[in-house]
Amino acid sequence: MTHNNTRLRNLVGIGFFLGLWQSLSFFDLVDAFMLPSPWQVAQALWDMGVDGSLWENLLASLKRVAAGYLLAGAVGLTLGLICGWWRAVSDMVRPIVEALRPIPPLAWVPVSILWFGLGDASAYFLVFLGCVFPIFLSTFTAIRSLDRDQINAALSLGARPGLMLRDVLIPASLPIVMPGLRLALGIGWMCVVTAELIAAQTGLGYLIQQSRMLFQIQNVFAGMVAIGMVGYLMSAMLERLERRVNAWAPSERL
Amino acid sequence: MSAQLDISNVSKIYPGRRGEDGIHALQDVSLKINKGEFISLLGPSGCGKSTLLSIVAGFQTVSDGFILQNDRELVGPSSTRTVVFQNYALFGWMTIQKNVEFGLKAKGVPATARARRARELLASVRLSGFEDKYPHEISGGMKQRAAIARALAPDPEILLMDEPFGALDAQTRVLLQEEIARISTEAGKTVLFVTHGIDEAVFLADRVIVMSPRPGRVRQEVVVPLPRPRTAEMRADPWFVSTVNELWETLKPDWQKEEKQ
Repeated sequence: MTHNNTRLRNLVGIGFFLGLWQSLSFFDLVDAFMLPSPWQVAQALWDMGVDGSLWENLLASLKRVAAGYLLAGAVGLTLGLICGWWRAVSDMVRPIVEALRPIPPLAWVPVSILWFGLGDASAYFLVFLGCVFPIFLSTFTAIRSLDRDQINAALSLGARPGLMLRDVLIPASLPIVMPGLRLALGIGWMCVVTAELIAAQTGLGYLIQQSRMLFQIQNVFAGMVAIGMVGYLMSAMLERLERRVNAWAPSERL
Repeated sequence: MSAQLDISNVSKIYPGRRGEDGIHALQDVSLKINKGEFISLLGPSGCGKSTLLSIVAGFQTVSDGFILQNDRELVGPSSTRTVVFQNYALFGWMTIQKNVEFGLKAKGVPATARARRARELLASVRLSGFEDKYPHEISGGMKQRAAIARALAPDPEILLMDEPFGALDAQTRVLLQEEIARISTEAGKTVLFVTHGIDEAVFLADRVIVMSPRPGRVRQEVVVPLPRPRTAEMRADPWFVSTVNELWETLKPDWQKEEKQ
């Protein structure tokens, strides 16, 4: 019942938004060239889907985000775990991380082009930069805030490092790490588009940039809508996974 | 016969921050514990009783002195000395069954054997039927029973209990005290039991070690002549009643001081 109401209200909200947007062009409130109607955007999306250019570019973007994200996951999780566990390491690493973290990925674009040229490698690098800090920080925080007694209990029960990691550290830190992973994926998706606007020859970002230069504004919006929908889906999928993995955690019980 | 656990002239000082004095948590504590003995460490908060337990568990090191377990110096945590914590410290992401199995898994016991053993242990703490529950689904008293079963699973020589009933209501406390009396006698384990409850210290122990506050020292030792296993009616025994009263008179000034701070 409550669940159905939520769904219904979601649909009402979306309907209202699209209605407002459609009426802007219907009543000629804005120039249709500057802001195509949702109907035109949907048509553009359909056309690009049929001729295959949408899928081709989407796949290119997804491949890049996947590569950069996995790399950031490997580095962020490992480094976060090490820094969370050993105070001495964290004292050395944290200042560097905290100084690098405020630099927006966009500021790395010139260096990235210099180092990696125009293409996949640059995009991997920028996605990596966007994702690695939230993953590192959430892992670090999770390990740091583990219950000392639980760790001691595991030690006194004879847990060696492998078992400790697999059965205690990882499951205990997931409630904090998973939202970090979800946040990072969202940022990674934004970074890949940014990278492609400037430093790539394929991808949704490139599609948008290319369409703008060809004055196909409805395609620009279609590309943006695609980015939004894919980002939404990724986030929703990770959130579902999160609920299942953290079903035991107090904050997930309601 | 040498003692199973020989705590010899142990001191513990926590270094202070710049300029401040350190905290002298334990001073020159000596205590010999024999196999199968139930020892209560009794005292107000700040007497270092939990620090001593934590050192015996291997979570902390001594500043001075040494501890021998079966004539060998004790280093680090070991499944021969398992711990029951005040806040249970159960693994929230595992079922009760898996919690109890953890120490057996660490020992490399095969899956079917450890499942059987864990069920036996859960039956012995009267938790049959709750194997598949998660810790957040059961009551505080049940959590502590599960934690006791978990600590017994690797078949330790010594069971260390750190104010295990501190977080429980009065009725549950009394019931669990009787359970502990039964379980510890049945299992034949050496127990080091930290508490600030005078009657539970006396009710459970063969010897009560009374500690004084900062720096923590052994102040008095009371040998309890009551037979084991202890049963509820022993609480009415004249010796029990008078001993509890005497200890209360001894410890009262410390508690009053603590109250004022």
